[in-house]
Parts: sequence; C-alpha cells; structure tokens
Amino acid sequence: MKIKAKLTNNIVKVKVLAKHEMSTYSQAQKRTGDSSNANFITHLKASIKDEIVFEVSTSQFLSKNPIFKFKFKDGKKGDVLTMTWTDRKGNTKTSKTKIK
Amino acid sequence: MQRRKFINLAALMGLSTIASSSLYATDYRYTKAAAWTANTVDDAIQKMYGDISTIHNGITLGVPKVASNGANVPLDIRSDIPAKSLTIFQNVNPEATVIAYSIHKNSLIDYSLKIKMQEGPGEITVILEGRDGKFYATRKTLIVAGGGCDP
Repeated sequence: MKIKAKLTNNIVKVKVLAKHEMSTYSQAQKRTGDSSNANFITHLKASIKDEIVFEVSTSQFLSKNPIFKFKFKDGKKGDVLTMTWTDRKGNTKTSKTKIK
Repeated sequence: MQRRKFINLAALMGLSTIASSSLYATDYRYTKAAAWTANTVDDAIQKMYGDISTIHNGITLGVPKVASNGANVPLDIRSDIPAKSLTIFQNVNPEATVIAYSIHKNSLIDYSLKIKMQEGPGEITVILEGRDGKFYATRKTLIVAGGGCDP
C-alpha cells in the first residue's frame, strides 16, 4: 500500500492507495465464467501500536485500486501507522509508514 | 475459506471481551453478514441496524450531480456526531451495502472514497450510528453517466 500520513494542527490526514483488483461477482462471472473467482478487499484497518484509528468493512463496490482518505487525532510525528487489509480469498497485506 | 471464517470468528469472539472500543476490531462482514447480501437499501439498513428511525441532520454528504465514470464515483462524508459506525448504501447495484466504517476513539468522520455504481439515476444513503443510541441519516441523488459495475 502507498500511504501518506501528515500531521497538521493535531489532526493526521491519511491517503492510502491499496493495489487490488476489487473484482465483483458479475465481473468474475464475465471474465472467468465463475462468480466465485470474485476477489475484493473485505476489511482494512489502520493502527498506531494497539490503537485502531481507522477501520472499514468493505464490499465489491469500491473502485479498483481503492484510495481511502481519512483523518484521526492524537497522532504524533514519527508515530508508525500500520495498515492491514484482508480480502475475500483470505489474502492479507500489511504496510507501515511514519507520520510526517 | 471455511477454515478462515472459523478462525476469524474465533478471533472476533476473543476480541469482544475487551471493553475499550479502540481495541475492539469489528468486521461487519461477519457480525452483520446478512446486510452485505441484501438487495434493497431498506432491507440492508434493517439487517445492519435493525428497525430504526433516523434523524436527518448532522451529516454532510458530497456526491457529484453527474458522475462521468461509474467505475469511480467520488463520495465524501463529514460529521461531528460522536459515532460507533457509519454505513453507506446505494440503490442501483445488485447489493445495497457499500462500506461500513467502525469509528474508534481517535477517528474523525471526514472520509473520501470512490465507488462503483451502475449507469443511470441513483441514490446514496448514509446512516450514522450515534454513541447516543440514536441514528442519523442523509441521502443524495445523482446520475451516473457511464461505466459502472460491469466492464
């Protein structure tokens, strides 16, 4: 994931791009003849140490290579933001960045 | 797939003993599974939150009047209401539930995202589950000019 996290006035602004096909059931049906080949991110969360600051449960209806923009408070410069997504097939990906 | 579901369910049950809302990770696709296969917005809302009445105040929802590309419809949502969750629904795709945000202690509701929508007139509904036990809602219509769910 490409993550940008910037602190301004006690608010951390984050933009993250998760590379993922986000294929819908009908797209999988059309491309492969089998809708169970659909694969999309189903859950994504961001935390600083054990504190979750952003969390979503998601569907096939997010755009391909989804970009999430969100904000949270009480983050500090240099804090490590850890993000993990899980997809329908059980794959996971974790990326980290430091708050600038 | 079955095994992964079991492990995740067990992990969620373990996490549910932790009182602090910031440590409590929620995957609504498991805890509210029926909401993700509901076809209509009303049914999806009922499966997600039960039979609720909503206050139409307190949420700012930005949608384009006309979305030129149905594969990337931009939405932004803002609210200052202390919340537990916020869910976005739409009424043109095969299933109505798009995304559910779990709101944690330091989370701010100021989100942007892009979604897929089928061509034609459509309506986005946002429901916010307040920490005060009340539900807040807003709706906006738009036209999706082209593209959509199917390439």
